[in-house]
Amino acid sequence: MSAPNPDAAAHRIYMLNVQHNSALMTVKFLSACFAGATAGILGLQNWLGFALFLVSTLLTSVFIYAVNCKGRPAKYIPGGLWELVNPGQDNMFSFVLTWTLFFGIVHVYD
Amino acid sequence: MSNNAVSLYLDPQIRDWVLFPITLVMILVGILRHYVVILLQSPPKKLPRAAIREQRALVRSQILRTTSTNSPIPESFYKSISQNLSQAFEAGTYLKDGPPKADAPSTPPNPLSDPNAMDGMMAGMKTQMVMMVPQMIIMGWINFFFQGFVLIKLPFPLTLGFKSMLQRGIETPDMDVRWVSSLSWYFLNFFGLNGLYRLILGGDNAADASRDMASPFAAGVPQAPGQAQDYSKLLKAEKDNLELAEGLYSWVGKDVEQRVLRRYGKLPPS
Repeated sequence: MSAPNPDAAAHRIYMLNVQHNSALMTVKFLSACFAGATAGILGLQNWLGFALFLVSTLLTSVFIYAVNCKGRPAKYIPGGLWELVNPGQDNMFSFVLTWTLFFGIVHVYD
Repeated sequence: MSNNAVSLYLDPQIRDWVLFPITLVMILVGILRHYVVILLQSPPKKLPRAAIREQRALVRSQILRTTSTNSPIPESFYKSISQNLSQAFEAGTYLKDGPPKADAPSTPPNPLSDPNAMDGMMAGMKTQMVMMVPQMIIMGWINFFFQGFVLIKLPFPLTLGFKSMLQRGIETPDMDVRWVSSLSWYFLNFFGLNGLYRLILGGDNAADASRDMASPFAAGVPQAPGQAQDYSKLLKAEKDNLELAEGLYSWVGKDVEQRVLRRYGKLPPS
């Protein structure tokens, strides 16, 4: 939340609203977890699993864009479109964790 | 065992007694860490009124300065507040110990001997210790109890370089890197559970491992200088900044009548 954004420099951003909107991170995290579970249960390996992660990220972004942001991400998320789509390092690792967990439970163990 | 098409069969008891317990323990230890840090934090020291006043004076002038180019307050108010503050800083009326006497040498309090600064540094170091210790303990526990067998197969391939780290304790030079030992499950959990902590404990939780690695020592340091700094020098510097900002000042509502008229077409555009 720092100066590069010209709106923030002019103090036109209300900080409490920004914090409330970061609840979208929860949505992204849950979608990453479920994508991992799906990839594991389906038994996807190698690049197919990562492709599923990419597809699920894009799908989640489309829904957030259409439903929450109503077509104007710059109004609700500082950082605009890229920050909407970017899952972040945490969600990437969570995807890998749940993917490995479910793959192991379903396909490796009897 | 070197044929990639043949899959290893693993005992389901490994899943029940290793996979789930390691994850459960790591989640619980993370939550424990968070609450321990909260309990260990000593309440912030109450500063005497004069000390708070000098901090607040600095903040006041900073607030005034930041929006000076697009300022919401009209000129007469801005200039009067700004000049009042400048004079006060110059004369030292806001300083904790009163205006500096001409003969007293002004030395900043030594950070090691000033009790206020020590508290800040100790709090930072305490948090670091609470983070490091459980990680070490869990790694030792896993290496001791869960060593020497294959735990799980990774669904994605890795290079041979990872073999020594992820298959520690399993002496098979030919086995695919995707069959890994318990320690690698620990690492996967270590990185992957941060999102879960953010969900359960809220955004600002103390169990977040990625935050430790990003700034191991930078976090402890900035809290100390704030209290050890010499406020008379700070206020003098602030006075210079204030005068600079006053030069850059411009009211948002300047010539607003002209702008409104132009917008509604009553005046020709300039």
